[in-house]
Formats: sequence, structure tokens, C-alpha cells
Amino acid sequence: MHREPLVDTDSWTVAGVTLRSRFLLGSAGYPSPEVLRDAIQASGTQVVTVGLKRTLVSGSDNGFIAIVREAMAAHNARLLPNTAGCRSAREAIELAMMARELYETNWIKLEVVGDEYTLQPDPIELVDATRVLVREGFVVWPYCTDDLVTCRRLLDLGCALLMPWGAPIGSGQGLVNPLALRTLRARLPDAIVIVDAGIGAPSHAAQAMEMGLDAVLLNSAVALSGDPVRMARAFRCAVEAGREGWRAGLIRAQDFAVASTPVAGQPVLLGPAESSTDDRQKG
Amino acid sequence: MNAPITITVALDGQPHQIPAGTTLAALVAGLEYAPSAVATAVNGRFVARALRGELQLQAGDSVLLFQPIAGG
Repeated sequence: MHREPLVDTDSWTVAGVTLRSRFLLGSAGYPSPEVLRDAIQASGTQVVTVGLKRTLVSGSDNGFIAIVREAMAAHNARLLPNTAGCRSAREAIELAMMARELYETNWIKLEVVGDEYTLQPDPIELVDATRVLVREGFVVWPYCTDDLVTCRRLLDLGCALLMPWGAPIGSGQGLVNPLALRTLRARLPDAIVIVDAGIGAPSHAAQAMEMGLDAVLLNSAVALSGDPVRMARAFRCAVEAGREGWRAGLIRAQDFAVASTPVAGQPVLLGPAESSTDDRQKG
Repeated sequence: MNAPITITVALDGQPHQIPAGTTLAALVAGLEYAPSAVATAVNGRFVARALRGELQLQAGDSVLLFQPIAGG
């Protein structure tokens, strides 16, 4: 049964901004600014993540940010600054304030890491930072784990959406806990849920979208691939395919075969004993 | 005794000498950054661009400058 029209009205809205693309792209680690620009174009993305670094540590950015700004303007798209590198709520709050001034946006991808090995988000610090930033007028995009209770707390505090990890950042493992993500979808049906981090292959993105999640955000899988522009296009196709699959309604998996070709009324040409030795009946 | 002519602050973690009485805005300008090119924090706290001219740096202050960069 058709649940939705085929005409593409499949947009989503964050804080009053309507977006069509469900593929959010990170801007780090590309071989050159030109490759980044072409990858942004190939991806069709409308949201690109950016960061902040101390000037003496980072030096020149070799033109990457100028390219990102240019590409965003060309596609009427948005920048999403992050608080990468923060280890406490206080740090993240201060960095968010700086990001708002530098990028002239109140959108913030809130990252507060609690473990150096896995770069796992710290749920306590994340909730504390969210409480302050929402009060300060930010649209908070929290990078979080797939823990249902933490996610619910973040929504209760006023987060615009949720961004649970699929796997540790940059690991490329895909969705290591699909049950948790399905649970989020089932228990928070009205929340915008974006899988952020850990996606390595287009099939991982398609899997997330087929589960009814709303979008995917990734960086390394495109930037570090052999051909980032081609990979950006591949992910775009995968996200769209997965989304369309979910909209169409997947069939339920079963443990037994169900013939797809109708057999009722078909003539039986040979008996079982004869057909077992007849090659023409194979397939 | 006269006030010291210069003071030392930590700029992005490195010792940096400035004339006593220097404001944060003057420090940024002296480093040849356009005001909008960097965000600033002093002693771990964000200082908005509009307030830099009012903030006179003190000896030992930790000044951090941040700039946009690609990110994931």
C-alpha cells in the first residue's frame, strides 16, 4: 500500500529551516579545498559541519573554510559548527559562544567527549551544556550515544534533534547497535534522529535510512576514500535509496520461503521423480 | 615606582609581551587579525567582539584566539 505520494515532498525542518537533503557532510580531512568543494556539490548536502581551532596551533587552513563558505552560498546551504575537542560542559559552552560569533549562526553541533579511546560522548556533560546553550538561544544538535534515557533528557531540555553515534568516530564500523537505534526510533517517533559517526560505507547509510532514521552525518568515509567526490555521490544515492525504501515500506523478514511466482493453476508437467533429474527444470 | 612598561600574557599558551593597558581589541589588531576573523577567550571565558575594547589585559592573563577551520 502506498503510504506517501511519489512526488518529492520529503523535506524536514529544523528550527524553522526546511531541508531536502538528508545527507549531512563533514568538511575535514579532504585532500584539497577543490576536492571538498566538488564533494559538497556531488553530495547534494545542505548542511556542512565546520570547527574552530586555536590560531597558533592550527595556522592557516589553506583555504578550506573559504571554499566551504562559497559552496554553501552557492547551494543556499547551512554551516553547522561543532565543539570538537571539548571535554567538559563549560568548555563546550564557551566554544559554542565563539562559534556563534565566528560563523554567525546559532546552530551548534554539541560534542563533549568523555573517553579518549572511543571518543564516546559524555552524557552528563552533554546534558549540562545543553541546558545552558538552549537557554542562550542555541539550536543544539547533540552528538550523543544511542542511550534512550539520555536522548529523552536532551529532547526534554529543548534539543532540536538527536545525533546518536552509529559507531566510534572515524571507525567506519557502521551501525554496531541497530537494536538501540531501532529502539530510539520506536520510542521517540516524533524526534528527528540523525546517525552521526562511525559510518564507513554507503550501505551503512542506507541501513540507517531504511530503519526510519531521518538523516546521516558523516565525514571520514567520504574525505578519506580513494575518490571523495565519487564517494559523496555514492552516499547521496544510498541515503536517498534507503529513505525511499523506508517510505515505501519494507517487507517483513521471514525464516521460510514464500514463492514469488504464482503457482496455483500451473500445469505440473512432470512428477517429482522425473523432474529431479531433468536439468531443464532448474532455476 | 613607575608601573611596568610591558606585561606578559599567555597567548595561545605562549608568553607574549604587550604594553601595560593594552585592550583585547588592541592585541587582536596588533596581531593583524581583522576583528571578525577570530573569536576570543580570556582566562577560559568567551569575550564577545563588542566587548574586546573594554577589556584591559592583566599580567598573567591567558588569551586564546580561535579561527574557523574544517571540521567533522
